Amino acid sequence: MKLTNINKSFGDNHVLQDISLDFPEHKTTVMVGPSGSGKSTILRSLNLLGMPDSGHYDFDDFHLDFSQKITNKQKLAVRRSTGMVFQDYNLFPNHTVLGNVIEGPTQVLKQPREQAIATAKDLLNKVGLSGYEKHYPNQLSGGQAQRVAIARALAMHPKYILLDEPTSALDPELEQEVLRVLLQLAHEKQSMVVVTHNMIFAQRVANKIIFVEHGQILYDGDPKEFFSPDNPNERIRKFIASMTMKNL
Amino acid sequence: MWEIVRESIPQLLSAGFKYTIPLAIISFAIGLVLALLSALTRLSQKSGAFLILKAIVRFYVWLFRSTPLLVQLFIVFFGLPYLKIKGILPHGVRMHPFTAGIITFSLNTGAYASETIRASISAVPVGQWEAASAIGMTRLQTIWRVILPQAFRIALPPLSNSFISLVKDTSLAASITIMEMFEVSQQIAAENYQPLLMYSLVAVIYALFTSVLSYLQGWLEHYFNHEVNAKKVNS
Ligand SMILES: Nc1ncnc2c1ncn2[C@@H]1O[C@H](COP(=O)(O)OP(=O)(O)OP(=O)(O)O)[C@@H](O)[C@H]1O
Ligand SMILES: [Mg+2]
Repeated sequence: MKLTNINKSFGDNHVLQDISLDFPEHKTTVMVGPSGSGKSTILRSLNLLGMPDSGHYDFDDFHLDFSQKITNKQKLAVRRSTGMVFQDYNLFPNHTVLGNVIEGPTQVLKQPREQAIATAKDLLNKVGLSGYEKHYPNQLSGGQAQRVAIARALAMHPKYILLDEPTSALDPELEQEVLRVLLQLAHEKQSMVVVTHNMIFAQRVANKIIFVEHGQILYDGDPKEFFSPDNPNERIRKFIASMTMKNL
Repeated sequence: MWEIVRESIPQLLSAGFKYTIPLAIISFAIGLVLALLSALTRLSQKSGAFLILKAIVRFYVWLFRSTPLLVQLFIVFFGLPYLKIKGILPHGVRMHPFTAGIITFSLNTGAYASETIRASISAVPVGQWEAASAIGMTRLQTIWRVILPQAFRIALPPLSNSFISLVKDTSLAASITIMEMFEVSQQIAAENYQPLLMYSLVAVIYALFTSVLSYLQGWLEHYFNHEVNAKKVNS
Protein backbone atom coordinates (compact mmCIF):
# COMPACT_ATOMS: atom_id res chain seq x y z
CA MET A 1 0.00 0.00 0.00
CA LYS A 2 1.65 3.16 -1.18
CA LEU A 3 0.84 6.85 -1.57
CA THR A 4 2.98 9.01 -3.85
CA ASN A 5 3.07 12.83 -4.06
CA ILE A 6 -0.31 13.28 -2.44
CA ASN A 7 -1.78 16.77 -2.24
CA LYS A 8 -5.00 17.79 -0.62
CA SER A 9 -6.51 21.17 0.16
CA PHE A 10 -9.69 22.21 1.91
CA GLY A 11 -10.15 25.68 0.43
CA ASP A 12 -6.92 27.59 1.08
CA ASN A 13 -5.88 25.06 3.68
CA HIS A 14 -3.16 22.94 2.07
CA VAL A 15 -3.67 19.94 4.34
CA LEU A 16 -1.39 17.38 2.68
CA GLN A 17 1.70 18.78 1.03
CA ASP A 18 3.13 16.41 -1.53
CA ILE A 19 3.50 13.49 0.84
CA SER A 20 4.71 10.01 -0.11
CA LEU A 21 4.32 7.04 2.20
CA ASP A 22 4.24 3.31 2.08
CA PHE A 23 2.46 0.98 4.45
CA PRO A 24 4.14 -2.43 4.57
CA GLU A 25 2.03 -5.56 4.48
CA HIS A 26 1.64 -7.70 7.61
CA LYS A 27 3.01 -4.85 9.67
CA THR A 28 1.54 -2.23 11.94
CA THR A 29 2.19 1.32 10.83
CA VAL A 30 1.44 3.92 13.46
CA MET A 31 0.75 7.54 12.54
CA VAL A 32 1.21 10.20 15.17
CA GLY A 33 1.26 13.96 15.14
CA PRO A 34 -0.44 17.00 16.61
CA SER A 35 -4.13 17.67 16.17
CA GLY A 36 -5.02 18.98 12.74
CA SER A 37 -1.77 17.78 11.18
CA GLY A 38 -3.52 15.67 8.53
CA LYS A 39 -3.45 12.12 9.96
CA SER A 40 -7.14 11.43 9.41
CA THR A 41 -6.94 12.92 5.95
CA ILE A 42 -4.15 10.49 5.05
CA LEU A 43 -6.03 7.55 6.51
CA ARG A 44 -9.21 8.47 4.68
CA SER A 45 -7.29 8.65 1.42
CA LEU A 46 -6.37 5.00 1.87
CA ASN A 47 -9.99 3.82 1.67
CA LEU A 48 -11.10 6.69 -0.58
CA LEU A 49 -13.51 8.12 1.98
CA GLY A 50 -11.64 11.33 1.25
CA MET A 51 -10.20 12.07 -2.18
CA PRO A 52 -6.83 13.80 -2.51
CA ASP A 53 -6.53 16.40 -5.25
CA SER A 54 -3.49 14.82 -6.85
CA GLY A 55 -1.00 12.03 -6.43
CA HIS A 56 -0.92 8.29 -6.96
CA TYR A 57 -2.14 5.38 -4.90
CA ASP A 58 -0.93 1.85 -5.45
CA PHE A 59 -2.61 -0.90 -3.54
CA ASP A 60 -2.67 -4.48 -4.71
CA ASP A 61 -3.79 -4.39 -8.32
CA PHE A 62 -5.10 -0.85 -8.05
CA HIS A 63 -3.08 1.97 -9.51
CA LEU A 64 -5.06 5.12 -8.99
CA ASP A 65 -4.21 8.58 -10.18
CA PHE A 66 -6.08 11.10 -8.03
CA SER A 67 -5.91 13.77 -10.70
CA GLN A 68 -8.22 11.58 -12.80
CA LYS A 69 -11.76 10.71 -11.82
CA ILE A 70 -11.92 7.65 -9.58
CA THR A 71 -14.83 5.47 -10.66
CA ASN A 72 -17.41 4.16 -8.23
CA LYS A 73 -16.30 0.64 -9.04
CA GLN A 74 -12.73 1.43 -8.02
CA LYS A 75 -13.92 3.05 -4.81
CA LEU A 76 -16.01 0.04 -3.85
CA ALA A 77 -13.20 -2.38 -4.67
CA VAL A 78 -10.66 -0.47 -2.57
CA ARG A 79 -13.11 -0.17 0.32
CA ARG A 80 -13.81 -3.90 0.23
CA SER A 81 -10.10 -4.57 0.67
CA THR A 82 -9.71 -2.15 3.58
CA GLY A 83 -11.50 -2.09 6.90
CA MET A 84 -11.99 1.12 8.84
CA VAL A 85 -12.44 1.64 12.55
CA PHE A 86 -13.61 5.08 13.60
CA GLN A 87 -13.00 7.03 16.77
CA ASP A 88 -16.70 7.02 17.66
CA TYR A 89 -17.38 3.42 16.50
CA ASN A 90 -20.23 4.29 14.10
CA LEU A 91 -21.99 1.00 14.72
CA PHE A 92 -25.38 0.66 13.04
CA PRO A 93 -27.80 1.35 15.93
CA ASN A 94 -30.69 -0.46 14.23
CA HIS A 95 -28.80 -3.75 14.05
CA THR A 96 -27.72 -6.09 16.82
CA VAL A 97 -24.06 -6.75 17.50
CA LEU A 98 -24.26 -9.83 15.29
CA GLY A 99 -26.21 -7.87 12.66
CA ASN A 100 -23.47 -5.25 12.57
CA VAL A 101 -20.77 -7.84 11.99
CA ILE A 102 -22.59 -9.81 9.28
CA GLU A 103 -23.90 -6.76 7.41
CA GLY A 104 -20.84 -6.43 5.16
CA PRO A 105 -20.33 -10.15 4.50
CA THR A 106 -23.99 -10.77 3.63
CA GLN A 107 -24.79 -7.53 1.78
CA VAL A 108 -21.48 -6.73 0.14
CA LEU A 109 -19.70 -10.07 -0.21
CA LYS A 110 -23.02 -11.92 -0.66
CA GLN A 111 -21.93 -14.68 1.68
CA PRO A 112 -24.60 -17.13 2.80
CA ARG A 113 -26.05 -16.01 6.13
CA GLU A 114 -25.03 -19.13 8.05
CA GLN A 115 -21.43 -18.79 6.93
CA ALA A 116 -21.40 -15.09 7.82
CA ILE A 117 -22.87 -15.84 11.24
CA ALA A 118 -20.30 -18.54 11.94
CA THR A 119 -17.44 -16.20 11.03
CA ALA A 120 -19.01 -13.38 13.03
CA LYS A 121 -19.28 -15.56 16.13
CA ASP A 122 -15.61 -16.50 15.84
CA LEU A 123 -14.66 -12.86 15.49
CA LEU A 124 -16.81 -11.78 18.44
CA ASN A 125 -15.16 -14.49 20.46
CA LYS A 126 -11.79 -13.18 19.37
CA VAL A 127 -12.56 -9.64 20.56
CA GLY A 128 -13.92 -11.03 23.82
CA LEU A 129 -17.61 -10.47 23.15
CA SER A 130 -19.07 -13.95 22.93
CA GLY A 131 -22.61 -13.84 24.25
CA TYR A 132 -23.23 -10.27 23.15
CA GLU A 133 -24.62 -11.23 19.72
CA LYS A 134 -28.15 -10.09 20.50
CA HIS A 135 -27.26 -6.84 22.22
CA TYR A 136 -27.88 -3.55 20.53
CA PRO A 137 -25.04 -1.02 20.22
CA ASN A 138 -26.49 1.35 22.83
CA GLN A 139 -26.39 -1.45 25.36
CA LEU A 140 -22.61 -1.63 25.08
CA SER A 141 -19.84 0.26 26.82
CA GLY A 142 -17.52 2.27 24.57
CA GLY A 143 -14.84 -0.39 24.79
CA GLN A 144 -17.28 -3.11 23.81
CA ALA A 145 -18.69 -1.03 20.97
CA GLN A 146 -15.23 -0.40 19.59
CA ARG A 147 -14.41 -4.11 19.73
CA VAL A 148 -17.61 -4.83 17.78
CA ALA A 149 -16.45 -2.23 15.25
CA ILE A 150 -13.14 -4.07 14.96
CA ALA A 151 -14.96 -7.37 14.45
CA ARG A 152 -17.16 -5.71 11.82
CA ALA A 153 -14.05 -4.54 9.96
CA LEU A 154 -12.35 -7.96 10.25
CA ALA A 155 -15.45 -9.75 8.95
CA MET A 156 -14.73 -8.39 5.48
CA HIS A 157 -11.28 -10.06 5.57
CA PRO A 158 -9.68 -6.82 4.46
CA LYS A 159 -6.04 -6.69 3.42
CA TYR A 160 -5.53 -3.67 5.65
CA ILE A 161 -7.33 -2.34 8.67
CA LEU A 162 -7.30 1.42 9.15
CA LEU A 163 -7.93 2.72 12.65
CA ASP A 164 -8.45 6.41 13.36
CA GLU A 165 -7.84 7.09 17.04
CA PRO A 166 -9.75 3.97 18.01
CA THR A 167 -9.41 4.60 21.74
CA SER A 168 -9.60 8.38 22.00
CA ALA A 169 -13.23 8.30 23.09
CA LEU A 170 -12.57 5.72 25.82
CA ASP A 171 -11.76 5.80 29.51
CA PRO A 172 -8.35 4.34 30.34
CA GLU A 173 -9.68 0.95 31.58
CA LEU A 174 -11.86 0.54 28.51
CA GLU A 175 -8.98 1.65 26.33
CA GLN A 176 -6.91 -1.27 27.53
CA GLU A 177 -9.42 -3.90 26.40
CA VAL A 178 -9.38 -2.44 22.89
CA LEU A 179 -5.60 -2.11 22.80
CA ARG A 180 -5.25 -5.77 23.83
CA VAL A 181 -7.28 -6.78 20.78
CA LEU A 182 -5.12 -4.62 18.53
CA LEU A 183 -1.91 -6.06 19.97
CA GLN A 184 -3.28 -9.52 19.28
CA LEU A 185 -4.04 -8.57 15.67
CA ALA A 186 -0.55 -7.13 15.27
CA HIS A 187 0.83 -10.36 16.64
CA GLU A 188 -1.13 -12.26 13.98
CA LYS A 189 0.48 -10.10 11.30
CA GLN A 190 -2.71 -8.35 10.31
CA SER A 191 -1.71 -5.35 8.16
CA MET A 192 -2.77 -2.22 10.04
CA VAL A 193 -2.48 1.52 9.92
CA VAL A 194 -3.26 3.10 13.28
CA VAL A 195 -3.57 6.75 14.19
CA THR A 196 -3.15 7.16 17.93
CA HIS A 197 -2.23 9.65 20.61
CA ASN A 198 -1.20 6.86 22.99
CA MET A 199 2.59 6.83 22.83
CA ILE A 200 2.99 3.79 25.06
CA PHE A 201 0.75 1.77 22.78
CA ALA A 202 2.46 3.22 19.69
CA GLN A 203 5.85 2.17 20.98
CA ARG A 204 4.60 -1.30 21.77
CA VAL A 205 2.75 -2.07 18.58
CA ALA A 206 4.50 -0.13 15.83
CA ASN A 207 6.69 -1.77 13.21
CA LYS A 208 6.92 1.59 11.56
CA ILE A 209 6.23 5.12 12.74
CA ILE A 210 5.08 8.11 10.74
CA PHE A 211 5.11 11.55 12.29
CA VAL A 212 2.92 14.09 10.56
CA GLU A 213 2.95 17.81 11.15
CA HIS A 214 1.33 20.59 9.09
CA GLY A 215 0.60 18.12 6.32
CA GLN A 216 4.20 17.04 5.98
CA ILE A 217 5.99 13.88 6.98
CA LEU A 218 8.66 14.73 9.53
CA TYR A 219 9.57 11.14 10.33
CA ASP A 220 8.98 7.87 8.55
CA GLY A 221 10.78 4.79 9.78
CA ASP A 222 12.01 2.76 12.69
CA PRO A 223 10.06 3.18 15.97
CA LYS A 224 13.15 2.53 18.13
CA GLU A 225 14.97 5.52 16.76
CA PHE A 226 11.80 7.58 16.89
CA PHE A 227 11.18 6.98 20.57
CA SER A 228 14.85 7.10 21.52
CA PRO A 229 15.76 9.93 23.89
CA ASP A 230 18.63 10.62 21.48
CA ASN A 231 16.32 11.34 18.58
CA PRO A 232 18.13 14.23 16.90
CA ASN A 233 14.85 15.93 16.00
CA GLU A 234 13.99 18.17 18.90
CA ARG A 235 10.43 18.77 17.68
CA ILE A 236 9.76 15.03 17.84
CA ARG A 237 11.32 14.67 21.28
CA LYS A 238 9.11 17.49 22.55
CA PHE A 239 6.02 15.99 20.94
CA ILE A 240 6.64 12.58 22.52
CA ALA A 241 7.28 14.16 25.89
CA SER A 242 4.09 16.20 25.77
CA MET A 243 1.99 13.24 24.63
CA THR A 244 3.46 10.95 27.27
CA MET A 245 2.67 13.53 29.93
CA LYS A 246 -0.93 13.56 28.71
CA ASN A 247 -1.16 9.79 28.98
CA LEU A 248 0.04 9.69 32.57
CA MET B 1 -82.06 15.65 20.96
CA TRP B 2 -80.79 12.17 21.71
CA GLU B 3 -83.12 10.93 19.04
CA ILE B 4 -81.33 13.08 16.46
CA VAL B 5 -77.92 12.03 17.73
CA ARG B 6 -78.84 8.36 17.60
CA GLU B 7 -80.17 8.71 14.07
CA SER B 8 -77.29 10.69 12.63
CA ILE B 9 -74.36 8.81 14.18
CA PRO B 10 -74.71 5.79 11.87
CA GLN B 11 -74.93 8.08 8.83
CA LEU B 12 -71.85 10.02 9.89
CA LEU B 13 -69.84 6.93 10.74
CA SER B 14 -70.78 5.29 7.49
CA ALA B 15 -69.57 8.38 5.59
CA GLY B 16 -66.43 8.28 7.71
CA PHE B 17 -65.62 4.68 6.92
CA LYS B 18 -66.67 4.95 3.31
CA TYR B 19 -64.95 8.21 2.38
CA THR B 20 -63.04 10.01 5.12
CA ILE B 21 -60.83 7.08 6.17
CA PRO B 22 -60.18 5.64 2.68
CA LEU B 23 -59.42 9.14 1.40
CA ALA B 24 -56.91 9.66 4.18
CA ILE B 25 -55.28 6.23 4.01
CA ILE B 26 -54.96 5.98 0.23
CA SER B 27 -53.72 9.57 -0.12
CA PHE B 28 -51.23 9.10 2.67
CA ALA B 29 -49.85 5.89 1.15
CA ILE B 30 -49.43 7.47 -2.28
CA GLY B 31 -48.11 10.65 -0.66
CA LEU B 32 -45.44 8.70 1.23
CA VAL B 33 -44.19 7.06 -1.93
CA LEU B 34 -44.08 10.45 -3.68
CA ALA B 35 -42.34 11.93 -0.65
CA LEU B 36 -39.68 9.24 -0.52
CA LEU B 37 -38.96 9.54 -4.23
CA SER B 38 -38.86 13.34 -3.99
CA ALA B 39 -36.60 13.32 -0.96
CA LEU B 40 -34.18 10.83 -2.53
CA THR B 41 -34.13 12.81 -5.77
CA ARG B 42 -33.33 16.01 -3.94
CA LEU B 43 -30.59 14.38 -1.87
CA SER B 44 -29.03 12.62 -4.84
CA GLN B 45 -25.57 13.71 -5.90
CA LYS B 46 -26.10 12.76 -9.53
CA SER B 47 -25.72 15.52 -12.09
CA GLY B 48 -26.57 15.95 -15.76
CA ALA B 49 -30.17 15.26 -16.77
CA PHE B 50 -30.86 14.49 -13.13
CA LEU B 51 -30.60 18.19 -12.33
CA ILE B 52 -33.74 18.80 -14.37
CA LEU B 53 -35.60 16.17 -12.37
CA LYS B 54 -34.34 17.80 -9.17
CA ALA B 55 -35.63 21.18 -10.33
CA ILE B 56 -39.03 19.67 -11.14
CA VAL B 57 -39.24 18.06 -7.72
CA ARG B 58 -38.23 21.27 -6.01
CA PHE B 59 -40.92 23.14 -7.95
CA TYR B 60 -43.55 20.56 -7.02
CA VAL B 61 -42.73 20.73 -3.32
CA TRP B 62 -42.68 24.51 -3.39
CA LEU B 63 -45.99 24.70 -5.29
CA PHE B 64 -47.95 22.45 -2.96
CA ARG B 65 -46.51 23.89 0.21
CA SER B 66 -47.09 27.49 -0.74
CA THR B 67 -50.74 27.30 -1.81
CA PRO B 68 -53.85 26.45 0.26
CA LEU B 69 -55.10 22.90 0.09
CA LEU B 70 -58.64 24.09 -0.56
CA VAL B 71 -57.48 26.07 -3.58
CA GLN B 72 -55.59 23.01 -4.84
CA LEU B 73 -58.76 20.93 -4.56
CA PHE B 74 -60.72 23.54 -6.50
CA ILE B 75 -58.13 23.73 -9.26
CA VAL B 76 -58.01 19.96 -9.72
CA PHE B 77 -61.75 19.35 -9.55
CA PHE B 78 -63.38 22.54 -10.89
CA GLY B 79 -60.46 23.99 -12.83
CA LEU B 80 -58.93 21.14 -14.80
CA PRO B 81 -62.10 20.42 -16.83
CA TYR B 82 -61.36 23.76 -18.51
CA LEU B 83 -57.82 22.72 -19.42
CA LYS B 84 -58.67 22.15 -23.06
CA ILE B 85 -55.95 21.57 -25.58
CA LYS B 86 -56.99 21.19 -29.21
CA GLY B 87 -56.33 17.69 -30.50
CA ILE B 88 -54.99 16.33 -27.22
CA LEU B 89 -57.52 17.32 -24.56
CA PRO B 90 -60.67 18.52 -26.34
CA HIS B 91 -62.85 18.04 -23.24
CA GLY B 92 -60.47 19.12 -20.52
CA VAL B 93 -59.49 16.91 -17.59
CA ARG B 94 -62.59 15.64 -15.86
CA MET B 95 -62.59 13.20 -13.00
CA HIS B 96 -64.69 11.69 -10.30
CA PRO B 97 -64.64 13.84 -7.15
CA PHE B 98 -63.11 11.00 -5.15
CA THR B 99 -60.29 10.66 -7.69
CA ALA B 100 -59.71 14.41 -7.63
CA GLY B 101 -59.59 14.22 -3.83
CA ILE B 102 -57.08 11.38 -3.83
CA ILE B 103 -54.84 13.13 -6.36
CA THR B 104 -54.84 16.45 -4.53
CA PHE B 105 -54.41 15.03 -1.03
CA SER B 106 -51.65 12.70 -2.24
CA LEU B 107 -49.71 15.47 -3.94
CA ASN B 108 -50.17 17.76 -0.95
CA THR B 109 -49.12 15.14 1.59
CA GLY B 110 -46.21 14.13 -0.65
CA ALA B 111 -44.87 17.68 -0.73
CA TYR B 112 -44.95 18.10 3.05
CA ALA B 113 -43.72 14.60 3.84
CA SER B 114 -40.84 14.92 1.40
CA GLU B 115 -39.49 17.76 3.51
CA THR B 116 -39.93 15.65 6.65
CA ILE B 117 -38.13 12.69 5.10
CA ARG B 118 -35.39 14.87 3.69
CA ALA B 119 -34.77 16.42 7.10
CA SER B 120 -34.82 12.98 8.76
CA ILE B 121 -32.28 11.61 6.32
CA SER B 122 -30.06 14.63 6.94
CA ALA B 123 -30.40 14.02 10.68
CA VAL B 124 -28.73 10.60 10.42
CA PRO B 125 -25.11 11.18 11.50
CA VAL B 126 -22.60 11.37 8.66
CA GLY B 127 -20.61 8.65 10.46
CA GLN B 128 -23.34 6.18 9.46
CA TRP B 129 -22.79 6.94 5.77
CA GLU B 130 -19.06 6.56 6.27
CA ALA B 131 -19.31 3.32 8.21
CA ALA B 132 -21.49 1.84 5.45
CA SER B 133 -19.14 3.06 2.73
CA ALA B 134 -16.18 1.71 4.65
CA ILE B 135 -17.54 -1.83 4.47
CA GLY B 136 -17.98 -1.41 0.74
CA MET B 137 -21.71 -0.79 0.51
CA THR B 138 -22.99 0.98 -2.58
CA ARG B 139 -24.88 4.22 -2.15
CA LEU B 140 -28.17 2.44 -2.74
CA GLN B 141 -27.37 -0.28 -0.18
CA THR B 142 -26.32 2.40 2.29
CA ILE B 143 -29.59 4.25 1.84
CA TRP B 144 -31.80 1.16 2.09
CA ARG B 145 -30.00 -0.78 4.78
CA VAL B 146 -28.52 1.91 6.98
CA ILE B 147 -29.91 5.39 6.42
CA LEU B 148 -33.63 4.93 5.74
CA PRO B 149 -34.29 2.64 8.73
CA GLN B 150 -32.76 5.27 10.99
CA ALA B 151 -34.41 8.16 9.17
CA PHE B 152 -37.77 6.39 9.46
CA ARG B 153 -37.54 6.40 13.24
CA ILE B 154 -36.76 10.09 13.21
CA ALA B 155 -39.56 10.78 10.73
CA LEU B 156 -42.21 8.73 12.50
CA PRO B 157 -43.57 11.40 14.89
CA PRO B 158 -43.79 14.20 12.28
CA LEU B 159 -45.23 11.80 9.69
CA SER B 160 -47.86 10.64 12.16
CA ASN B 161 -48.77 14.24 12.75
CA SER B 162 -49.11 14.75 9.00
CA PHE B 163 -51.44 11.78 8.82
CA ILE B 164 -53.59 13.11 11.64
CA SER B 165 -53.77 16.49 9.92
CA LEU B 166 -54.72 14.75 6.70
CA VAL B 167 -57.64 12.97 8.36
CA LYS B 168 -58.98 16.34 9.48
CA ASP B 169 -58.20 18.02 6.15
CA THR B 170 -60.32 15.50 4.28
CA SER B 171 -63.27 17.58 5.55
CA LEU B 172 -62.27 20.05 2.82
CA ALA B 173 -63.34 17.40 0.33
CA ALA B 174 -66.92 18.37 1.20
CA SER B 175 -66.38 21.36 -1.04
CA ILE B 176 -65.80 19.17 -4.09
CA THR B 177 -69.02 17.17 -3.51
CA ILE B 178 -67.45 14.12 -1.88
CA MET B 179 -69.95 12.61 0.57
CA GLU B 180 -67.47 12.41 3.43
CA MET B 181 -68.41 12.97 7.08
CA PHE B 182 -68.45 16.74 7.14
CA GLU B 183 -70.53 16.94 3.97
CA VAL B 184 -73.02 14.48 5.45
CA SER B 185 -73.20 16.48 8.68
CA GLN B 186 -73.96 19.61 6.66
CA GLN B 187 -76.75 17.84 4.82
CA ILE B 188 -78.31 16.53 8.02
CA ALA B 189 -78.05 19.96 9.63
CA ALA B 190 -79.80 21.47 6.64
CA GLU B 191 -82.70 19.09 7.21
CA ASN B 192 -83.09 19.19 10.98
CA TYR B 193 -81.96 22.79 11.62
CA GLN B 194 -79.56 21.66 14.35
CA PRO B 195 -76.23 23.00 13.09
CA LEU B 196 -74.65 23.33 16.52
CA LEU B 197 -75.52 19.79 17.43
CA MET B 198 -74.55 18.28 14.08
CA TYR B 199 -71.20 20.06 13.74
CA SER B 200 -70.34 19.31 17.35
CA LEU B 201 -71.19 15.70 16.76
CA VAL B 202 -69.00 15.44 13.68
CA ALA B 203 -66.22 17.21 15.59
CA VAL B 204 -66.43 14.55 18.29
CA ILE B 205 -66.16 11.81 15.68
CA TYR B 206 -63.08 13.46 14.11
CA ALA B 207 -61.57 13.75 17.58
CA LEU B 208 -62.30 10.08 18.17
CA PHE B 209 -60.61 9.04 14.91
CA THR B 210 -57.54 11.19 15.50
CA SER B 211 -57.24 10.07 19.13
CA VAL B 212 -57.13 6.46 18.01
CA LEU B 213 -54.40 7.46 15.55
CA SER B 214 -52.43 9.27 18.25
CA TYR B 215 -52.60 6.16 20.34
CA LEU B 216 -51.37 4.04 17.42
CA GLN B 217 -48.59 6.56 16.85
CA GLY B 218 -47.40 6.15 20.41
CA TRP B 219 -47.47 2.40 20.04
CA LEU B 220 -45.57 2.48 16.72
CA GLU B 221 -42.91 4.78 18.10
CA HIS B 222 -42.45 2.49 21.04
CA TYR B 223 -42.28 -0.56 18.79
CA PHE B 224 -39.74 0.87 16.35
CA ASN B 225 -37.56 2.41 19.00
CA HIS B 226 -37.40 -0.49 21.39
CA GLU B 227 -33.90 -1.51 20.37
CA VAL B 228 -32.61 2.03 20.23
CA ASN B 229 -34.10 2.86 23.61
CA ALA B 230 -33.34 -0.53 25.13
CA LYS B 231 -32.14 -0.24 28.69
CA LYS B 232 -28.45 -0.33 29.23
CA VAL B 233 -27.62 -3.70 30.69
CA ASN B 234 -24.01 -3.18 31.53
CA SER B 235 -21.59 -0.44 32.36
N1 LIG C 1 -14.03 18.13 5.74
C1 LIG C 1 -13.15 19.10 6.00
N2 LIG C 1 -13.38 20.36 5.58
C2 LIG C 1 -12.51 21.35 5.82
N3 LIG C 1 -11.35 21.19 6.46
C3 LIG C 1 -11.05 19.96 6.90
C4 LIG C 1 -11.93 18.85 6.69
N4 LIG C 1 -11.37 17.75 7.23
C5 LIG C 1 -10.21 18.16 7.75
N5 LIG C 1 -10.00 19.47 7.56
C6 LIG C 1 -8.81 20.24 7.95
O1 LIG C 1 -7.70 19.52 7.53
C7 LIG C 1 -6.65 19.58 8.48
C8 LIG C 1 -6.22 18.18 8.83
O2 LIG C 1 -7.29 17.52 9.45
P1 LIG C 1 -7.18 16.01 9.95
O3 LIG C 1 -8.52 15.65 10.42
O4 LIG C 1 -6.57 15.19 8.89
O5 LIG C 1 -6.18 16.17 11.15
P2 LIG C 1 -5.76 15.06 12.23
O6 LIG C 1 -4.28 14.99 12.17
O7 LIG C 1 -6.52 13.83 12.01
O8 LIG C 1 -6.19 15.77 13.57
P3 LIG C 1 -6.82 15.12 14.91
O9 LIG C 1 -5.68 14.57 15.69
O10 LIG C 1 -7.43 16.30 15.60
O11 LIG C 1 -7.80 14.10 14.50
C9 LIG C 1 -7.21 20.36 9.66
O12 LIG C 1 -6.72 21.69 9.55
C10 LIG C 1 -8.69 20.33 9.45
O13 LIG C 1 -9.27 21.50 9.95
MG1 LIG D 1 -8.06 12.85 13.07
